[in-house]
Amino acid sequence: MVSLLRRFFGVDKQSGQVARKRMQFVLMHDRIDITPDLMEAVRKDILDVLSKYMEIDGKSLKVDLEQGKDFMALISNVQVKRVYRHAT
Amino acid sequence: MAGKTIVVTSGKGGVGKTTTVANLGTTLAKKKYSVVMLDADIGLRNLDVVMGLENRIVYNLVDIIEGKCRKAQAMIRDRKLSNLFIIPAAQTREKSAVNPEQMKQLCAELAEEFDFVIIDCPAGIEQGFKNAVAGASTAVVVTTPEVSAIRDADRVIGLLEASELKNIYLVINRLNVKMVKKGDMMSTEDIIALLSVPLLGVVPESEEVVISTNRGIPLVHERGSKAGSAFRRIASRLNGESIPIDEDGADGFFGRMKRLIWN
Repeated sequence: MVSLLRRFFGVDKQSGQVARKRMQFVLMHDRIDITPDLMEAVRKDILDVLSKYMEIDGKSLKVDLEQGKDFMALISNVQVKRVYRHAT
Repeated sequence: MAGKTIVVTSGKGGVGKTTTVANLGTTLAKKKYSVVMLDADIGLRNLDVVMGLENRIVYNLVDIIEGKCRKAQAMIRDRKLSNLFIIPAAQTREKSAVNPEQMKQLCAELAEEFDFVIIDCPAGIEQGFKNAVAGASTAVVVTTPEVSAIRDADRVIGLLEASELKNIYLVINRLNVKMVKKGDMMSTEDIIALLSVPLLGVVPESEEVVISTNRGIPLVHERGSKAGSAFRRIASRLNGESIPIDEDGADGFFGRMKRLIWN
């Protein structure tokens, strides 16, 4: 009953849609064969490169792969604290 | 004239590969084509029980390959259709008893004699899969609308595409129409969008399948069975006949009447 109400009020999404969304994500990762370790390595390298030019909050750096309609995008968000005046 | 060699595969076990093989083979044989079904699941054979031929086995696939018998000696004729045969897998051997080259050779020889050679692939993506796929020119990937089956199907499709196999088709098995309507199961459209492989047909979930397997008589012999007619249409499409897909989910009084009349 509670679950029916939850669904009625849109708290729970229909599980078929949940499955579809999850599969989009899982299959994309399977196909490009990127492991979490590899993503972490990419994240670290981006952090290193950016740190040469600006002071950034390492913890805020997020790297994600997203599936567009006909393409895949790597999306990275980071909080910049300060840009160095003289890049080294 | 060489026949068609078709492998039925899935990655995940228990999604209905053997049932699909039995029903497709039987339908094609009913259409008067000569058909041989090859059980490539060495060590875990099942096509014989699904076809109700388990007590007629003398020789098997490995015996042919090792030269212990002639091909014709290992072929078991169906109880109802004289143009339908199975070659059982060995039950007490390992998958490594056969290699892809040998399977390629055997399938090529069988395709000389038969219109259709249908190979029942084992679950998994290791040696047994490689053996089963080696001799085929067409692949039918069976999946159910569940996340684990779809993920494995995607993996298998990737492996098939990387091999020489170019004709890859999808069969969605055990679709529960009620659950899809409620939004609690991925729909046919969802699954096609995820896997992007041409769809051969959709088989509704049905108790009839269990019953026909219990009896060892493929469902396509049964009149008025929804899952049975879905398998029949899949076989027809595999044979190049063009039948609209949307009939697969059709039900209701008229759908049932239509099935009774046309089947």
